[in-house]
Amino acid sequence: MKQKIYRNIAIVSAIFITTLAIMLITNYFQVKEVSPLQTQVVETLKQLNDQNAGNTELQEQIRQLDLMARKAYFISMDHLMNGVYLLLGMLVVFVVCTRLYYAHFKDVPDKELDPIDEWAVKSKARKYVNYGAVSIVVVAAVFIIFSIPFMENASPDTKEKSVAQLIETETPEPQETTQAAKEVGAAADELSTAPENSGDEADEESEVVTAKVEVGNETKDVGIIADETKAVADVPGSVAAEKSPASAPKASETSGETKETKATEITESTEPKKSMPLNKINSPAFRGNKSNGISPAQNLPIKWDLAKGTNIAWQTKINGKGQSSPVIHSNKIFITCGDEKARELFCYDLITGQKLWTYTATGIPGSPARVPETTDDTGLASASVATNGKQVCAVFGTGDLVCTDMDGNKLWAKNLGVPDNHYGYASSLLIFDNKLFIQYDNNNVQKVMALNPATGEVIWSKNRKERITWSSPMIADVNGSPQLVLMGNPGITGYNPATGDELWRVECLMGEVGASACSMDGIVFGASEYAKMVAINASDGSVLWESMDYLPEVASPVATQTDIYIATSYGVVASFDTKTGELKKEHETNEEFYSSPILAEGKIYLISNNGTMHIFKADDDFALLETFATGENTYATPAFTDGRIVVRTNNSIYCVKAN
Amino acid sequence: MKRINTLLATLFLAATSGAQNLNRFPKPDFESGYQYPDTHYALPNEQLWLYIDIFLLVALMSYVAWAILKKQRRKPIIWVSFLSIAYFGFFRSGCVCSIGSIQNVALAFADSAYIIPVSVFLFFMLPIAFAFLFGRVFCAGVCPFGALQELVNIRNYRLSRAVTAVLGVIPWLYLIFALLYAVTRTSFIICLYDPFIGIFRLGGDFGLIVFGSLLLLAAIFTGRPFCRFLCPYGALLSLFSKVSIWKIQITKKDCINCDLCHNACPVDAIKSPYENKVKEERMQGVKRLLMYFLFLPLIVITSAFVLRQFSPQLSKAHKDVKLYDMVMEQERNPQDLISVELEAFYIDGGNIEALQEKVRVVKQEFEFFGTIAGALIGLVLGLSLINLSLKRSRKTYEIEHGDCVACGRCFSYCPQNDFLNLKYTGK
Amino acid sequence: MKKETLHKSPIERRKFVKMLGSAIAGGTILATTGVLFSKFRTGEETHYWQIDPQKCTQCGKCETDCVLTVSAVKCFHANKICGYCDLCGGYYRSNVKELNTAAENLMCPTGAIQRKFVEDPYFEYKIDEDLCNACAKCVKGCTSFGNGSLYLQIKRDLCVDCNECQIAKVCPSNAITRVPLAQAYKLKG
Repeated sequence: MKQKIYRNIAIVSAIFITTLAIMLITNYFQVKEVSPLQTQVVETLKQLNDQNAGNTELQEQIRQLDLMARKAYFISMDHLMNGVYLLLGMLVVFVVCTRLYYAHFKDVPDKELDPIDEWAVKSKARKYVNYGAVSIVVVAAVFIIFSIPFMENASPDTKEKSVAQLIETETPEPQETTQAAKEVGAAADELSTAPENSGDEADEESEVVTAKVEVGNETKDVGIIADETKAVADVPGSVAAEKSPASAPKASETSGETKETKATEITESTEPKKSMPLNKINSPAFRGNKSNGISPAQNLPIKWDLAKGTNIAWQTKINGKGQSSPVIHSNKIFITCGDEKARELFCYDLITGQKLWTYTATGIPGSPARVPETTDDTGLASASVATNGKQVCAVFGTGDLVCTDMDGNKLWAKNLGVPDNHYGYASSLLIFDNKLFIQYDNNNVQKVMALNPATGEVIWSKNRKERITWSSPMIADVNGSPQLVLMGNPGITGYNPATGDELWRVECLMGEVGASACSMDGIVFGASEYAKMVAINASDGSVLWESMDYLPEVASPVATQTDIYIATSYGVVASFDTKTGELKKEHETNEEFYSSPILAEGKIYLISNNGTMHIFKADDDFALLETFATGENTYATPAFTDGRIVVRTNNSIYCVKAN
Repeated sequence: MKRINTLLATLFLAATSGAQNLNRFPKPDFESGYQYPDTHYALPNEQLWLYIDIFLLVALMSYVAWAILKKQRRKPIIWVSFLSIAYFGFFRSGCVCSIGSIQNVALAFADSAYIIPVSVFLFFMLPIAFAFLFGRVFCAGVCPFGALQELVNIRNYRLSRAVTAVLGVIPWLYLIFALLYAVTRTSFIICLYDPFIGIFRLGGDFGLIVFGSLLLLAAIFTGRPFCRFLCPYGALLSLFSKVSIWKIQITKKDCINCDLCHNACPVDAIKSPYENKVKEERMQGVKRLLMYFLFLPLIVITSAFVLRQFSPQLSKAHKDVKLYDMVMEQERNPQDLISVELEAFYIDGGNIEALQEKVRVVKQEFEFFGTIAGALIGLVLGLSLINLSLKRSRKTYEIEHGDCVACGRCFSYCPQNDFLNLKYTGK
Repeated sequence: MKKETLHKSPIERRKFVKMLGSAIAGGTILATTGVLFSKFRTGEETHYWQIDPQKCTQCGKCETDCVLTVSAVKCFHANKICGYCDLCGGYYRSNVKELNTAAENLMCPTGAIQRKFVEDPYFEYKIDEDLCNACAKCVKGCTSFGNGSLYLQIKRDLCVDCNECQIAKVCPSNAITRVPLAQAYKLKG
């Protein structure tokens, strides 16, 4: 009787367990698959709401769906937990009942499966082990045998690709079917066929090595071809100019420095052939030479009008987003643009305003597939380019650093690591003493690097103790020796540009540092909103004075021997004494300044966000000489050269030239 | 380089700055006398629980040893099993357990930088020491996994002994692979594929819970499938149990060869009396044995070689190697949507050379340890073959101490154990 | 000669083998203990899993990969470094138009972030740990646009202290490591 009860309880609980288990499993998968908290519907609705705010119906819908999703999530979690406890309890009941039921049959002897003969059992087991081991070994062997030719097929494939990549980096324009490219291509073919002939792995590797040597020889040939083109260059100048950049970098990359000099000789030899007069005053980086905000340019116009065209040499529309300031070298102007689709480096002619070439940064290893999120007013192209007359380097908010020659042929490109920067990476580049300086202070990485602009190799790289910063490096002249000065949060730091050694560091800043430093007579001036302005003796790193009267947020200061000038983002333009830090003069303009003031011809040129130009006298009086509206919003800092000012507005670039 | 002023706008008024705060937004200056809330985060008394763990481990094992060796009773095992499931299983969520501690110990040997916690070491060593002294008293009911299987077991349907003998090799292979993956810092596979932990934690990987439930279901009808055919720690303990100093006996009196106990053992550890009456020449047996001994080095070398060849495939389980493969794939064929791993890698600077170097070291380690693991696998196969070729004669029912999990079932079956006679004579 | 002894006394031989085995087994136990003893005497007692908030990249794996059904990782809030902003990057979705508590404006999918008005213009934020599921959305927002006062951490009382943390295994930034018992929590601020 008791047995029957136990049996029935066991059966009932078994049925219960099975049903409950099935229910729990379905619930589990439902929650897992639907994952109510991340439903696509709510997410898309929320995005829709972001686009057109104020749609109350939509908002109501979102609220209800959101509530439902949360309910679904928490209730299902609750059910799952209670269900599991219930299941566990029923399992205990089942086991106990079955146990009690079977206790009755305890003594029923089991049927013996095995023969009594133990030896027979052992022999059988031995046989199984043998079979098992042999079959495992056979399967493994088969696998290995199959994987070897598979690997052989796969490895030349990758090698071919790497060679293809090599070719890609070497030839800036792949469609240019110069003989050199063909030769390298032939070498690549040889490379890919070579391993197929060899059966053994070791053989294969040695073959690859020899193939590489062959490529080396081939590229030497390329160098010779470059020499030949040089010889030809004298006659059809333009053709040589087109060809030589294509082959020259190849030569330089693979067979050393000597070839490089030859290559540059070629480009230089072709340059004088151009009929245009060469511009002598360059503005090779953000805020001019050494990024100090001072330009030696002369004969500058002091008034212009975009609408009427007064003193405007040319104006060209820019199709693309970017805030990088224009940079001038000889007769070329460089700016960058960047959005999700493309990051581009543009070159314009200084005289005519024609777009000479465009280089698009693509195919860079490590470049993120999805561009980092940036704010609209910073974007992906805020950092200005830098050039030394041979190479042009540009950096984008994706961390892509590209370098082309002056004709837009890619020399090298690399990704510096995707910057984690909530506004967007913005520190401009600077080339000085044939070193490309990069301030790379982001949330994820804080460092400063010096690269060889010709090859992209790192000369030195130093980690920094600063937080994320948006300001740009500059070179300060301290008693005849240059120092690389970087702003940071919290420190302003002076580095030896040759070695990267830290010379001094003053912790004085905080918040979001956007303005760059400037220097005069061995004194470095740094200022940032919410912190202070500091004058530092760069020979020993001692603080000369501090001031908190007016502080710039974005625009960098500029200094003469007696005065330092700053422009705040809330409209005050002020001058201070460089020796004492005393406030000398202030102008309330009711403007916003993001563009930095530039000192040229004894005047301070400062353009406000809505495009109002202010020209001050750079002396103790700091008188406002001229103010006029240009008519276009301008965030970038203009570039100055003899007789000309190049201004980038939010959607165009124009050149001012005094008649 | 422009910034969002909207974010700053709220703080603009309160721009008076604390000199210490160097963050994006300065610390607010509260005028209403606001106090920062005290945040306390719960901190269970972990050290105390560890002492209790160790104490219970020793106490329960001693109790089982006393019950099995001295008193020859099974009841205490049941109580210990309940206690162990409740405490080590559900309350302590089954971590750290002796089975998993193998990997920590192996890692401590291989990696000098790894510091093994004392508690983990004790969890590893105490059951082994007890096995060396008293047999596998840990398995009997102190191990929550064994206890769980012991308690649900109702019937013992026999499995073919030839098959169980072969399946008995699996724990060794599992152990070897667990060691290989542990010493290369790849993964603790014993912990990763633990079938019962999900049951104790009332949640976890779905597949594993199903696997655990199936094992438990099997355990209802056959004795301890996990202990016999999977548990790597059990394999280790069986070595020590074989040579244990005090041994479990079915009865302290003489065996009367009544055959009653033969069916009692859930793990087939009771060997029946057997006279070596094989119709085989003695010399043939010796020859076979000799052949296996000669073949042993060959098997060892072969399997070492095979696993060495396999080491690149095995190394793919390592996190760095996986990442490297992903990076290489991305570099070769850039995708728009990249995985979080790649994202983190590139955000961190994307130093491919450093990663490559790491991967090279990992692969080298895999080659080295893979070869050793292969040799060990060969050794296990060879020795089990040799073991299966040994002939042994027995006069009475004997316990194979390596396999015996000290569950104490057989005591009640033996008519020589008088405490039982009451029950059986009654019927 | 040897064969003879073997033949004569299989019992003796077995005993000898057993003794040898016992000696080896005992020796192994002592040797292992000895070798490892020197090791842990110098080391820390015990270690517990914690996230390094500086390394965390908010990938969201803490939500999905914990062995527990609802992750032992929770969002922590360091009030000391919080800016108490009205427009909080962790509380509101980006591009939010109205600063109210409507569902379409909030970041947290479970509504685990509560905020309280302190004084103009400050708000205090608090995490309801029962609701938090460690999705890291608010942490991402706070780290990108705020002071980073919201961060993920493993709650010791919830963590079952696996021998090998399953989240650590998949953490792309290797942010989860063991810390000594004395160090309690890796807290920010």
